[in-house]
Amino acid sequence: MAEPAIRMRGVVKRFGGFTALDGIDLDVARGERLVLCGPSGSGKSTLIRCINRLDVHDEGMIVVEGVELGDEDAAIRAVRREVGMVFQSFNLFPHLTVLENCALPRMRARGTPRAEAEALAREQLSRLRVADQAAKYPDALSGGQKQRVAIARALCIEPRIMLFDEPTSALDPEMVGEVLEAMVMLAEGGMTMICVTHEMGFARRVADRVVFMEGGRIIEQAPPERFFSAPAAAQTRRFLGQVLGR
Amino acid sequence: MARAPAPALPPPPAASGLAWLRRRLFATWFDAIVTVLAGAALVWLLAALIDWAFLDAVWSAEMRERCRETAGACWAVIEARGRLILFGLYPHEAHWRSTLACLIVVATMVLSCLPAFWGMARLAGLWLAGFGGFVLMMHGGLFGLPVVTTEQWGGLSLTVFIFAAVVVLGMPMAVVLALARRARLPVVAGLAALIIDTVRGLPLLTILFAAAVVAPLALPDWAQGDKLGRVIVAFAVFYAAYQAEIIRAGLQSIPPGQEEAALALGMPWRSVVFDILLPQAFRNTLPATINQVVITFKETSIVTIIGFFEVTASASAAIGRGEWGAYYVEVYVFVALIYFVFVFGLSRYGAWLERRMRLIRG
Repeated sequence: MAEPAIRMRGVVKRFGGFTALDGIDLDVARGERLVLCGPSGSGKSTLIRCINRLDVHDEGMIVVEGVELGDEDAAIRAVRREVGMVFQSFNLFPHLTVLENCALPRMRARGTPRAEAEALAREQLSRLRVADQAAKYPDALSGGQKQRVAIARALCIEPRIMLFDEPTSALDPEMVGEVLEAMVMLAEGGMTMICVTHEMGFARRVADRVVFMEGGRIIEQAPPERFFSAPAAAQTRRFLGQVLGR
Repeated sequence: MARAPAPALPPPPAASGLAWLRRRLFATWFDAIVTVLAGAALVWLLAALIDWAFLDAVWSAEMRERCRETAGACWAVIEARGRLILFGLYPHEAHWRSTLACLIVVATMVLSCLPAFWGMARLAGLWLAGFGGFVLMMHGGLFGLPVVTTEQWGGLSLTVFIFAAVVVLGMPMAVVLALARRARLPVVAGLAALIIDTVRGLPLLTILFAAAVVAPLALPDWAQGDKLGRVIVAFAVFYAAYQAEIIRAGLQSIPPGQEEAALALGMPWRSVVFDILLPQAFRNTLPATINQVVITFKETSIVTIIGFFEVTASASAAIGRGEWGAYYVEVYVFVALIYFVFVFGLSRYGAWLERRMRLIRG
């Protein structure tokens, strides 16, 4: 079997006395689209934040694209260049224009010359249909536009894996669609993706596998058809009842 | 039951000048009396000031005998003693050098305020050239310019030079201290906190005095440098301690998501700090920074006590010589005007920067 994009073994993460991740074993294959769901506080966000080391795991092993995450700075940055991340609160840089938001990280992370980085940025911005916003500052954009710029910014680094941390939770309802559409486009392009989301429609439509977490553990994982029609665990059924209103 | 909405009221009449006056100044009898009294006092004060400063004033040094008779200002003292005020003890025949040096530093300050010059390399180059030009002009020793030692430097050019050097040296120190205080290594953070708290705990006077008088006893000869140099470095450390706390406050005001996003994009630490965090920290604390810079400009007058004749000390010297001694008010008004021009310029620049940033913030 080919080396998976991400391999996690026995990963434990504690915040003080609170155990956020309690022995996670997870493999994500190249090109696989994973949806992570679960009640709040179940450790979904912590799990994906450990993959690019925004959170540092306390025990176990995480290997991303063949590089094991440890204390070594070079390895961490190498992994971060391969892993793009989209946040719930966008986190665009307010003092830079949309174009600079996309081009500057590319220049600094990969040493790309400005002209080339800006060309790349324009390409990604038009792919996400926000090219006309390039000269604006983030505060002038709508929530949906901000999130699409954030996706474009992450794509400018040319990562092999994309992590989404509740990308639609901070959006007004009428803007959720445009962001989900962008994510579907990425998924159809073959990107390896892990999405933390409550958008079950998106999971059903796009995911290869749905992973359900509670209390820092993976309770159940299954392809979406099985996950939604025949959930095995009682916790999963309770959670689905809440989010789907059944 | 459906009800028709009430008909709209007519819009309030546009306030005419007269109506505004009546509402704001003459609403009641008491208001009217206060307005009239305050207005009269204001007019009287203004008239007295104009009489003193312009109408009854003596302008020319040749007519200085008239100063004793008139009730107005004796601006003649500025003509007679202006050079002493502006140049201090600097040799008379070389005053043009001091003027030029002063203009060089002011021009450098103005240029570095322009967004076109914002960037590490550009600012560093600009200030190296500016300070180089200043020292060449003031000190001489090259191109046939006779040497003038720093003991003889004085007046406005000394004030402006000390101010610029303190801010330009102090700002990078402040950035280093602010970053060190946030460092993950407890030793580094603790050391930065200790330096900041110690320096802030000491009066500026003590620090400058120590740099001027005590340091030569403690330091080996090669490390002593020039007295002016030591004083500027000590002053810069003092400024940096305060500015560091301002920058730290600015860093704390940035949402943690900014740093996380930059790290997640694979940006190296240096770029995260200099491209993402510091620009936002400075933006967020601009009023406090301008405030600290203005305070520093005014505090330069403290170097008097260790024997430097900056503009305030030169002014005192100018009236200390008998014949003009009676006209100290005029001299201090003149000096105050000089300070005002600089400080007012700084605050207008600050206001412009804030406006510019609000535009960016959408």
